[in-house]
Amino acid sequence: MKLAADRVLSLLLLGLAAFVAVQAWQLQVPFSYDPLGPKAVPLMLAGLLAILAVVLFVRPGASGEWPTGALLLRLVFTMAVLGFYAALFINLGFLVTTALVSIVIAWLFGATPLKAVVGGLLLALGSYLLFTYGLGISLPTGSWIEPLLGSD
Amino acid sequence: MPNSRIIPRWLVAVVTGGALLAGAVQAQAKPPECIAPAKPGGGYDLTCRLAANGLQEAKLIDEPMMVSYMPGGIGAVAYNHLTGVRDDDPNLIVAASTGAALNLALGKFGQQHKVDDVRWLGALGVDYGAVVVRKDAPWNNLDELMKAMKKDPSSVVIGAGGTIGSQDWMKAALMAKADDVDPRKLRYVSFEGGGEALAALLGEHIQVFTGDLAELKPQLDSGEIRILAALSEERMGGPYADIPTAKEQGYDVEWPIWRGYYMGPNVSDEAYQQWADRLRELNDTDSFKKLREGRGLFPMSKFGDDFHQYVKKQVADFEQLAKEVGLTQ
Amino acid sequence: MFDFLIQGFGVALTPLNLGLAFLGALLGTLFGALPGIGPINGIAILMPLAYTLGLPAESALILLAGIYTGSEYGGRMSSILLNVPGDAGAVMTTLDGHPLAKKGLAGPALGLSAVSSFIGATVAIVGLTLFAPLLAVVAVKFGPAEFFALMIFAFASMSAMMGKDPLKTLIGAVLGVLISTVGVDSGTGVLRFTFDMPELYDGIDFVVMIIGLFAVSEILLMLEHAFRHDQDGEMAPVGRVMVKLSEVMFCKWAILRSSVIGFVIGVLPGTGASVASAVAYTTEKRISDRDNTFGTGDMRGLAAPEAANNASAAGSFVPMLTLGIPGSGTTAILLGALMLYNINPGPMMFREQPVVVGGLIASLYIGNVMLLLLNLPLAGVFARVLQVPRWILVPSVAILAFVGVYQLHSDLMAIYLMLVIGVFGYLLRKFGFSLAPVVLGFVLGGLMEENLRRALSISGGDVAILFQSGLSIGLWIAAALVVLVPMFAGKLKAKFLPAGK
Repeated sequence: MKLAADRVLSLLLLGLAAFVAVQAWQLQVPFSYDPLGPKAVPLMLAGLLAILAVVLFVRPGASGEWPTGALLLRLVFTMAVLGFYAALFINLGFLVTTALVSIVIAWLFGATPLKAVVGGLLLALGSYLLFTYGLGISLPTGSWIEPLLGSD
Repeated sequence: MPNSRIIPRWLVAVVTGGALLAGAVQAQAKPPECIAPAKPGGGYDLTCRLAANGLQEAKLIDEPMMVSYMPGGIGAVAYNHLTGVRDDDPNLIVAASTGAALNLALGKFGQQHKVDDVRWLGALGVDYGAVVVRKDAPWNNLDELMKAMKKDPSSVVIGAGGTIGSQDWMKAALMAKADDVDPRKLRYVSFEGGGEALAALLGEHIQVFTGDLAELKPQLDSGEIRILAALSEERMGGPYADIPTAKEQGYDVEWPIWRGYYMGPNVSDEAYQQWADRLRELNDTDSFKKLREGRGLFPMSKFGDDFHQYVKKQVADFEQLAKEVGLTQ
Repeated sequence: MFDFLIQGFGVALTPLNLGLAFLGALLGTLFGALPGIGPINGIAILMPLAYTLGLPAESALILLAGIYTGSEYGGRMSSILLNVPGDAGAVMTTLDGHPLAKKGLAGPALGLSAVSSFIGATVAIVGLTLFAPLLAVVAVKFGPAEFFALMIFAFASMSAMMGKDPLKTLIGAVLGVLISTVGVDSGTGVLRFTFDMPELYDGIDFVVMIIGLFAVSEILLMLEHAFRHDQDGEMAPVGRVMVKLSEVMFCKWAILRSSVIGFVIGVLPGTGASVASAVAYTTEKRISDRDNTFGTGDMRGLAAPEAANNASAAGSFVPMLTLGIPGSGTTAILLGALMLYNINPGPMMFREQPVVVGGLIASLYIGNVMLLLLNLPLAGVFARVLQVPRWILVPSVAILAFVGVYQLHSDLMAIYLMLVIGVFGYLLRKFGFSLAPVVLGFVLGGLMEENLRRALSISGGDVAILFQSGLSIGLWIAAALVVLVPMFAGKLKAKFLPAGK
């Protein structure tokens, strides 16, 4: 297990190098004014990467500590929360999504539920005020608000 | 917990505050918006600001027009956005130019996107292509340059701010074609934007720059460069009166670069017409004439359906041209 | 000869313009401090305001230039405090800035970077005043072949950063260059690695890249540290706030050398603060890092990129004011702002618009002093950001990342891309990579390929063009020296000083 991480990486990099090479090879170039064209550099990089990956496989370094169990779950959950933030950012609007996401992240980082809720709401509101009125950046308000307010 | 009663009150205040704020923001009518399908600072940004500043100065809009940026896909991301997401927003216009028509013709916006997928609104100005050389260049006129190029296409190094298939390249390719030279035989260098290409011309790295006429005014004034030909229908006035067109020198090449706008496909006829009228009115005001001149644009008056047909024809022409110069099959 | 400058100070010292310079400095610092907002957006946001207020051209330019220079000051804050670069020029600042903050020296680090920024900018503004027209002539001599040689030199000096894991530094750089190949190929217009996604046609945006790579991965790492309660995530308590004079003096040569490097690179059209700070950092590491302290919180490693990125910001005004050619993305938008005022910057501008040029240059001097005065006391205030509890800090970083990218793209794909790059950055860091070579590969690699291919299309394929001018030959030699001398010196040292130090 000790040496595994770099060897896994090495295989991933080899895969990437192969992928890049195949993709670059298949580029359709109508014509090019320079002798290299768009293929040369990616192909060269793929070759270089493959060589480096082999060296890495032969001489792997220490593996470091990888997240497992509960921590891994939390990391995945955090990315899911951020993905949710992205997905609903425009439709639900900045204020609502930011408040929700801030609350969850604050809770993940050990805040008590009450602190998380207050902190999240204040953050959402505060940053909204800062960006909209302080810096003149327009943020999405959310499509659900429009019918609620009956504005056209 | 003695404070526990205070905190819920805080919560209430925060929540109502948030709701009120959201309401206040929404209660305002939506301001008109112009999307520049690029990063800040480019030609599309200026096209948006031309409309925004002009309309505001002429008091043709009640609220300042917002300019937002949607870079990506040389305009394809914004085109997608308008055909898919905000397809009926009556307050939204998107900046476009000849480049957008060219990309449509070359299928660079995706094969599924056609010119009729949006409503072309109008153009507020136009610039023209120009064939530019350094002041000490060996060619005195376009004919001499073209003869040199005909003799040995690889003896002349042409540079410009775009890749194969871009507007700048098309100018060079059309010039070559006008003299029966295969565009593929040229010696052409593409730079990141006209500025870098101009620097390369001044630094003697390239010999010919296929740029835009009005953008070159400062360097023309200072005498650093000479313009061998304007790629316009007829001679332009003012400081450009001495510059002959390519046509009058026997090479039938024109390259207008219009700056205009389009709207979503499902915008109502009423809103579309209102915007077209607004731009038409703006186009005739004195304050706008000054603004347009400052931006280095010549007048171009095509609005509404007129403009839509113009763009449509241009895209069809470009499709033909692309085949002729060997860009597409 | 310097009439325009005297006239300029007359313009810049009016109360309105002084106020605008201050406002620009303040807002610029703020814009720069927020990751992802940066100078380009700052100016884009305030440009309509300046126009709507009906400010005269020189006043508008003073305000916008203040934002530009101010954001170069502000960009370092999140680099030092959060290990998240605020903008392109601040990536290298994370390398020694953040370790300093971890040692409890956030205050002095911010102070030192303010002083370095001030000196870097001042050297560059003096250079701009004295040599602008002359430099413009030299700058255009820098063609594709010379740029290619410069990139070779930059990559060669990166060998200084090989450090403890040369293999992973190399792999990181290669990955960075690979990422730079995504998008429309600038030579042929062919789409590379875009997988039919129009969002990728223009390549991967620098801001999306650094926000993802640094900010998103930092959130995940902070979560790990918090979960494990380990030492790595711990910050030493914020101690002293002010930087000491002795610390500044310790860095004086680093600052001066980097100021010159930054200015020269800033003057070249097409390269900006990111290249300038990278070259300054790696050069400085080569020259003065005898005990391998760079990267662990060496003051010189912080001072060098900070002096360089500010110097390059001022330097990029040279091609803009003298040739009408933008030297960076930010001057491109300033150029646009001027065009709205019917002013076409170019060779005639010094003669035709002395008030505007003089006013701008004078305001750069004044704004810079204001920025120093503003930023020294702010160092203490901002250092306290570190005392903010994690459960507030982390959501704030997330908000800034999202708003930064959204404001720039108005598009969800860019945000998803940022998240994907974030996971990529997290994995890299877990595998023991440093992010700096990846970013450098990304920035330099694209320029290298483009310029190599441009040079070869000019020469029609003849490689000799790469070694034709004195400038490029000089750069090739410098690149060779940067790699060979330390190797050689190491052998000599080992021979004559076998006992170690």
